[in-house]
Amino acid sequence: MAEPSTAKRKRLAIVATVWKHLSHAQHMGDRFLVGYPRDGAWHRPAIDVVSLYVDQRPEGDQSDERAREFGFKVYPTIAEALRAGGGKLAVDGVLVIGEHGDYPTNAKGQIQYPRYEFFEQIVRVFEEDGRAVPVFNDKHLSYSFDKASRMVAASKRLKFPLLAGSSLPVTWRLPSVEMPYGAAVDEALMVGVGSSDAMDFHALEAMQSMLERRRNGETGVKAVQLIQGPAVWQAGKDGRWSRELLEAALSRSQSRSGKGLEDGRTQDLTHSGELEELVREPAAYLIEYRDGLRATLLMLNGAVGDYTFACRLKDGARVLSTQFLLPITPNVVYSACLMSKAEQMFETGVAPYPAERTQLVCGILDFCLESKVRGNRRLDTPELAVKYRAPEQSLFCGAGGV
Amino acid sequence: MADEHQISRRAVLAAAPAAALLAIPRESAAAEEKAKPGRKRIAALATEFRKLSHAEVILDRILEGFGWEGRHYRPALDLVSLYMDQFPEGDLSRERARRFKDLKIYPTIGEALSCGGSDLAVDGVIIIGEHGNYPRNAKGQWLYPRYEFFQQTIAAFKKHGRVVPVFNDKHLSWNWSWAREMVDTAAAMKIPFMAGSSVPITWRIPSVDMPHGAQVEEVLTIGLGNVDSYDFHALEAVQALVERRRGGERGVARLQALSGEQVWKALDAGSWSAGGWDPALFSACLCRSHQLVPAREGFNHVYPSRADLARMVKEPVAYRYEYRDGLRATMLLLNGLVGDITVAARLKGQAEPLSTLMFLGPTADTQPHNFDPLVWHIEQFVQSGKSPYPVERTLLTTGLVAAGVDSIARGGEMLETPHLSIEYQVGPASTFRRAEHG
Repeated sequence: MAEPSTAKRKRLAIVATVWKHLSHAQHMGDRFLVGYPRDGAWHRPAIDVVSLYVDQRPEGDQSDERAREFGFKVYPTIAEALRAGGGKLAVDGVLVIGEHGDYPTNAKGQIQYPRYEFFEQIVRVFEEDGRAVPVFNDKHLSYSFDKASRMVAASKRLKFPLLAGSSLPVTWRLPSVEMPYGAAVDEALMVGVGSSDAMDFHALEAMQSMLERRRNGETGVKAVQLIQGPAVWQAGKDGRWSRELLEAALSRSQSRSGKGLEDGRTQDLTHSGELEELVREPAAYLIEYRDGLRATLLMLNGAVGDYTFACRLKDGARVLSTQFLLPITPNVVYSACLMSKAEQMFETGVAPYPAERTQLVCGILDFCLESKVRGNRRLDTPELAVKYRAPEQSLFCGAGGV
Repeated sequence: MADEHQISRRAVLAAAPAAALLAIPRESAAAEEKAKPGRKRIAALATEFRKLSHAEVILDRILEGFGWEGRHYRPALDLVSLYMDQFPEGDLSRERARRFKDLKIYPTIGEALSCGGSDLAVDGVIIIGEHGNYPRNAKGQWLYPRYEFFQQTIAAFKKHGRVVPVFNDKHLSWNWSWAREMVDTAAAMKIPFMAGSSVPITWRIPSVDMPHGAQVEEVLTIGLGNVDSYDFHALEAVQALVERRRGGERGVARLQALSGEQVWKALDAGSWSAGGWDPALFSACLCRSHQLVPAREGFNHVYPSRADLARMVKEPVAYRYEYRDGLRATMLLLNGLVGDITVAARLKGQAEPLSTLMFLGPTADTQPHNFDPLVWHIEQFVQSGKSPYPVERTLLTTGLVAAGVDSIARGGEMLETPHLSIEYQVGPASTFRRAEHG
C-alpha cells in the first residue's frame, strides 16, 4: 500500500468462503488491497485489511499469500478475525463474501452458502463486545428468506449498517438510464442467463433496483410462480408476460447465438421463431407485486449471454430498456462498482441503499424455487410484504456521466 | 440531386421511430416497412464478405436490422446490389444473395451501380474496403482499394450524369494524396460524402461528450492493434472529441511517431513540454479500460508499474501531434496492456481530466454493437444527403495515419504537416450512441 497508515484509516475484516483467483473474495477483497478504478482514476481506499477468515482452502487458495504480502493475518475463526486476535472487536467494518466453495445443494437447487451462519457469528461478537460495525454481505443475504429476514432484523436491532446484494444494480448500463423516481410502472421484464440460485438472483436484483423507484415505493410481493419449458412460451401468448417488452430487452443484448454465432448475422429473435428453437429449457419467474405491478424474469439459456431489462411506463406508454453490463473477466469492473459502495458505507457508516432490497429479492427467489419444486404452482407470499423506500439518487456506475 | 434530399424526408424519418414503437404489430412490421415509400436502394462495393468482416457487420445490419431505441430496427434501405472484389473461403455474399431476393451480385462496380441496366439504379453507395487479401507496402500499410472503388463510382456517376450519397468505411485511402483527391472530387461534383470509423459513435462508458466550445489543452488515447489499422480508430476517437473545442478544427501542424524504447523515454519525460505527455491522462485512460491486462499473476485488476509496462508491451507505438491552434495530442498503441480504446482530455481550468471508454463490445462472440449507430447514421445520410459529421474529420485522421507511418519509416522523425491544415466546424449536437439516441 502506497498510502501511509494514519489514525483515520479504517480497519477491515474479510470473512469469506474461499479466496482463490477470480473468486468473489479475490476480486472484491483485492479492491481494498491494491485499489481499483473509480471515476477515471486509480483509487486506493484509506482502509487497511487487518484480518481474514476463510472457511475452506481449496486448491489455488491465496489467503496466506495475500496475508503475507499485505500484512494481515488469517484467523481460524470468525470471532478471532473480528477481534484481530485480541479480546475485543478490533475492526471498523466486515466484508462477507460467501460465494464459491464446496457446499451442499438442497432440494430446491439452492447452494447452501453459510452466509447466515457467518453473519450469526459476527453478530455474536458485536453483542458480546457491545459494539457493532458496518457489514457488507455479497450477493443474497441467504438462500433462505427466513434467514435473510433475521439478518436484516439483527442489523436493525443492533443498529449497524448492512449493505448487501449483487453488483448488477450498480454496474454500468447501456444505455445509461435510470427509472424515473416515482414513475408509474405498467409492467416489467428482465432477461437473464445462467444457473439457478446464482445468476437468477443477479437478474432479479437488477430488476428490483429499477422497480423499487416506482410510485409509492416498494410494498412487497403478493404471489410468485416459476414456470418452465413450453409453458413459458404459452404464458407469453396468454399475455402473462409481454413480447413487446421482450423485444425491447433483447434489442439491448449483445449476444450472438444460433445463426448469428455461425455466420455473424444480426437476428430479430423475438419475432422470427428462433428464440423458441434456441432456448430448450426456458424458465419464467412471474412476480405479482402487492400494488398490482407485474414483473417477469425470463431465463433464456441458449439465446443470450447478458442481462437486459425493459419496462413500460404508464406515462405515455413509454418503454424504457437497458443492458446491465457485466464487463468481462478478468477485470470484472462491475465488482469495482460494488466495492465502491461497500467502501462508502465503511467510511460514512451509512448504507447507500437499503438491505431490504436484497431481503425481498432473496424472498422472491426462495419462493420461486419453492414454486418450482411444487409443480410450478402459483404461491401466495404474504411473508413478502417487505416495505422500503429506495434512495432517489442514482447510484449505478455512470449515473450522471461519471 | 436536390429532390432526393429534401429536409422534409429527414423530418418524417426522425419522427418515425417514436410513432412506430407501439403502433405496428411487430409480426407484420417487416412487411409493412418494405411496402413504405421512401425506401432507398443501396449498392455496396466491398473487398470481402466473411463472418465479422466489415462488409458482413455493416451489410447484415441493413439486411436483417439491429437493436435500436428499444426495438429490432429495420433501416428503410434495400441492399439491391453488391460488388465483391474477392470471394475467399467462408464467403457469405452468395448465401446472402440467395436468401435476400432483392440482392444481386454483379461482376463489376459499373454494373453494380446500374444494377445491370443502363442508368444509375441506386440511391446510395457504400464502399467497404476493409479485410481481404491485399498487398502491404514497406510502411506496413494494407493497400485496400478504397480509392479505386471510389474512382470507379465517380466514373459511373459521370457516365450517368447523376450522383448519389457515398459512404466510405474507415479511412479514405492509405495514400494521402488519393484521400485528398476523393474529398475534393466529392466536393466538386456535390456528392454527399460520409466516411470513417464506428468508434466515435459507439457507446461511451461513461456516456460523455466533449463540451462544445471547451478549451482543450491536451488529449491522449490508448488503443491496441497495429499502425494503419487500429491507429485510425483511436485517432478518430480523439478527433470526434477535440473537433468540438473552442474555435473548431483548424488542422494539425506536425506529428512525430515513436516506437519501442522511444515510447518509454517519452513516458518517462513526464510532460508534453519534456517530450512526453500528461501522466494524468495516461492514468485516466488505463482507469477507464475494461480490458487492462493484469500485471500480476493471481490478480484480476492491478495498476501496472513502470517496469510492468516495459515487460508487457513489446512494441509500443506513440503518435505525438500538435494542432495548429496549440492543442497537444498523443495516440498510444499498447498491445499486451489493453484490449480496448480509451480517451482522456485535459480541459482548461478543470482539475480532473475528461475520460471515457469507447465501448466496442466485449468479445468476438458478441455482436459488435458499434456498427448499429454506424448503420443508423448511414441510413439518415442516404435519406437526407447530409453527413452526420464532416468528411474532413476522416480526411484529417487519414492524413494522420499516413504521417504516422511515414514518421515511423523515418525512424521517428518529426514531420511538419502543412497539408493537414484542414479546417471544419461541428455543431453542438452529439452523434454517439447514448440514452437519447439509440
